[in-house]
Amino acid sequence: MNTIDPRIHQVLDGELPREALPAELRPALSRLEAVGDVLRRETIRGTVAARVFAEIRRPHHGRLVRLARWFTERHPITISLRPVWTLALAVLVAAVALLPSAGPAGRAEQLLSAQEGIAQFVGRFPDARSVEVVGSFTDWRPGAIPLQDDDRDGVWQTEVVLPAGEHEYMFVVDGERWVPDPLAGRYADDGFGRQNAVIIVRPAAVR
Amino acid sequence: MLLAVVAVGGLAAQSVRGRLAGRVPAAAVAPVDSMVRAAAADGLPTDPLVRKALEGGAKRASPEQIVVAVAQVATQLREARTLLLRSGATLPVAPGEVVAVSAALVRGLPAPQVQRLVAALPGEPTGPALHAVADMVGHGFAQDAAVDLVVDAVRQGLRGVRLLDVATAAVRELQRGQVHEAALTAVRRRLPDVPASPTPPRAALTRARRPVADPTHP
Amino acid sequence: MVARVLGGDVEAFGLLIARYEPGLLRFSTRILGSADAAADAVAEGLVRAYRHLASCREPARFRTWVYRIVANRCKSHLARRPLGDVSLDDVTPPADPTDNEATLERDEQLALVGQALATLSPEKREAFVLKHVEGMSYDEMAAVTGARIPTLKMRVHRAREALLEALKEYQ
Repeated sequence: MNTIDPRIHQVLDGELPREALPAELRPALSRLEAVGDVLRRETIRGTVAARVFAEIRRPHHGRLVRLARWFTERHPITISLRPVWTLALAVLVAAVALLPSAGPAGRAEQLLSAQEGIAQFVGRFPDARSVEVVGSFTDWRPGAIPLQDDDRDGVWQTEVVLPAGEHEYMFVVDGERWVPDPLAGRYADDGFGRQNAVIIVRPAAVR
Repeated sequence: MLLAVVAVGGLAAQSVRGRLAGRVPAAAVAPVDSMVRAAAADGLPTDPLVRKALEGGAKRASPEQIVVAVAQVATQLREARTLLLRSGATLPVAPGEVVAVSAALVRGLPAPQVQRLVAALPGEPTGPALHAVADMVGHGFAQDAAVDLVVDAVRQGLRGVRLLDVATAAVRELQRGQVHEAALTAVRRRLPDVPASPTPPRAALTRARRPVADPTHP
Repeated sequence: MVARVLGGDVEAFGLLIARYEPGLLRFSTRILGSADAAADAVAEGLVRAYRHLASCREPARFRTWVYRIVANRCKSHLARRPLGDVSLDDVTPPADPTDNEATLERDEQLALVGQALATLSPEKREAFVLKHVEGMSYDEMAAVTGARIPTLKMRVHRAREALLEALKEYQ
């Protein structure tokens, strides 16, 4: 895949005035703008309004009401079990009964404390076999936080829960090449002749 | 109290060789260990020193480079503590405060500006205020103007993560096309009512994983 | 408007639908590659939006909020169907023989661009469409997708590169 001159991205992202773009780069800019225009002009036929209104005017019952109905109204249930599964089912039912009764919000809050936040790391390494993030939060030990490139387009990323506050880090490509995050925006001398990227992790309150 | 500090320092130093073993060149272990003991005896945080040594080891730095880098961190921490004491903090200074102030100084925030922030938050954590300023400076705001805005926000009662929201609000104004000065005016006019930053969706929480705990580091 | 709907005015919700539905359908169609699946996702999303309107913290940001709900419905649809089952066959309606030349050319362009877009990963497709078709800022895109702005920029940049490459031969 060819990379585009970064100035074209800057113009499209509103970071550079169009006039600042050299004439030879303008055709590519116009082609990209035309893609957006073509898609924007697409005629949308049909509407879902009737479906939506039919649904929202139907009486809506919460999960509890639906569950209560399921227990109180008659309905056929067919369960066929092999003898060996009955024991497993009994164990499963016991496990479910012992689970704390926290709702989804309760479970999410257990995932993150008030002093933690989510950090997202992303980098483009088209020919890499592996990419990981190593930093003060892993005690600079490699091997803890690999990035993923599931669609093999060279863009590697991961999300990780970290203590809120400031952290320094670098990417390690193919287990040996230390690379600062080009998208970090903030850097600090590492004392070894290179620059660490700096990330500020905000505490994440759960909605 | 002094005895307690020394005892804790001694325990911290004892575990240092264990943390460094196998991850830092053998020639660097003894000097780093000695610097960590000195810092502990002096009541300074020791974790940043050990981390710097581990960082050097991971990056295959020479023993000399590691010793120099660790010594540099020790000096930065001492300078940070001196600044905190000059700004009215009392001994023992919280290790987190020393680390936060040291980081701000290392990133280039001038001492007088750091002092203004520390003085605006007597006895309170300064980390979020320093991060807010760093965030704004990273987006091209002048250092003194960023400190002015954050100090104003503190005076209006904002603390902790809400100070980061002030920086975010200022950066948003830039993204809307305002120049730096107008962005500051717009945010200052709204204080203390800056919008809270969006929290991550629950799906993001479930996807995000904690880093694997280091078994050698309790 | 959102306040009126919250006050029980169902008809006011119709006005909200009218305002946002075309964009939501266009967005979902591009993500799902099927106009039928898109209609399902938008209908489900709008019903959810109506039922949870009280949890829309900032009514002024209804647009990004409703896009986020519909984007999540699209993700559920994508997750439910087998990999590779993203067809663009039914996105662009067959040209009507009575259409004039300009319409035919527009449909042809749309088909080409649609095919190029379909080669992108869902994340990149989503980022590109939100940016260049729905005209959102990176801030708004972050509110819709929950991704960080640098991540979104990276996706949009890669999408632009891939699209330019895919459309090279049709210059």
